Amino acid sequence: MNDKIVLEIKNLHKHFGDLEVLKGIDLEVYEGEVISIIGGSGSGKSTMLRCINGLEKRNKGEIIFEGENVKHGQKGFIKLRERIGMVFQHFYLFPHKKIIENITLGPRVVQNISKAEATEQALKLLKKVGLEDKAKVYPAMLSGGQKQRVAIARALAMKPDIMLFDEPTSALDPELVGEVLQVIQQLAKEGMTMLIVTHEMGFAREVSDRVIFVNEGQIAEMGTPEEIFENPKDENLKRFIQSIY
Amino acid sequence: MTVFLEHLTLFYDQMISFFEVALKFAPKFLPAVGLTLQLSVFSIFLGTIFGLLVMLLKLTRLKILEKITDIYISIVRGTPLLLQLYFIFYGLPMLGLKFSGFTSACIGLAFHSGAYISEIFRGALNAVHPGQVEAGKAIGMNRLQIFYYITLPQAVKQAIPALGNQFIIAVKDSSLASVITITETMLIARQFVAATYDPFPILFVAGCYYYLIITLLSFALKIVERRLSVNER
Repeated sequence: MNDKIVLEIKNLHKHFGDLEVLKGIDLEVYEGEVISIIGGSGSGKSTMLRCINGLEKRNKGEIIFEGENVKHGQKGFIKLRERIGMVFQHFYLFPHKKIIENITLGPRVVQNISKAEATEQALKLLKKVGLEDKAKVYPAMLSGGQKQRVAIARALAMKPDIMLFDEPTSALDPELVGEVLQVIQQLAKEGMTMLIVTHEMGFAREVSDRVIFVNEGQIAEMGTPEEIFENPKDENLKRFIQSIY
Repeated sequence: MTVFLEHLTLFYDQMISFFEVALKFAPKFLPAVGLTLQLSVFSIFLGTIFGLLVMLLKLTRLKILEKITDIYISIVRGTPLLLQLYFIFYGLPMLGLKFSGFTSACIGLAFHSGAYISEIFRGALNAVHPGQVEAGKAIGMNRLQIFYYITLPQAVKQAIPALGNQFIIAVKDSSLASVITITETMLIARQFVAATYDPFPILFVAGCYYYLIITLLSFALKIVERRLSVNER
């Protein structure tokens, strides 16, 4: 982690109809930093993540990624997404494509990389997530944990500068959570900048540089894992942590 | 006992004559069956293109195009095919649009099945999980790339069973072309019946031809479906 700011969020607002989901989020993310975002369901943590790569259109505020403030619908906006990897709760692998094709599709179609090069890179990534033997099968053949590891490899194939994880283990059977967290932990060690929305408090504590507690569309508290988990100040956070332990 | 024997002999004679007539007329059906096949192929092929086109127009999300396709679909669904065929063949010439019987039938059948096929495609596209689109966006794909590489292939697979049904209906609907002077299977059957006064074997033969065509079509569709479902195994 160093002091170069990769992502800056300023006064982010988002509402769905009358429902205000985000009420002014401010956050700076430094290169190589791992930030866990915790909070109750409906607190707006997923929406915040989805606003960053524009899966949700923000209503107000700025999102500055590597110095660029690109707005929704503007030219170059789609290009931005290549550099922001995203992993979903429900994986969303492409069911009609083999595992290897799931990973090479982005590089080939979006980045115009040759098939041979994309395949070679994809095999390396599969090895990294421990699934090199699954290259030729379809997603339906994999367990949830394996699917999620492929989804991580697919996002990494675009060589992103930041990775967003939207509850990457929430849809998994308990015994499969570990294998996915291990991969994320490995990425953290390699210095990948990451924002992780998670309910795995033990993991958040171990892997994060900073933890953010989101409550009712605002960052209620932010700090090191020790500060958040050992010495919470916000009343809602205290209650939230008590409800978990 | 003798009554029973009499009945048996009568039945036997009738069976013999049934097969005689059926076998005699079966080959005479062939040119008409050829026409049925041609009509079906045109109707399915043009109808699919029509359907795709209409679906694409809808996807543009332009209000005016959407309105036009909605009107088209509601007209096709709201009126009988028989009337549509009559209208094209007898009605349109009044406006100066004159087509041959065969062209009229092709236009009518394709126009008709196109509406249903476009709805099948639309339903299938909607059935693709929105998360698939998001996953495509997340790796930087644009709308066209997402459509071509992600939603379309999944939608086609979803659409195959319903599409197959529609193709089968198209084959059977081609029989309605008989009312606008096309000598396809149904009309020739009627003509043979009128000539022989022996409807049973002749209609039986006509039915066999339809059944054969549809069975072969179903078989082909099953193969396609199986090919496309490899990723589920």
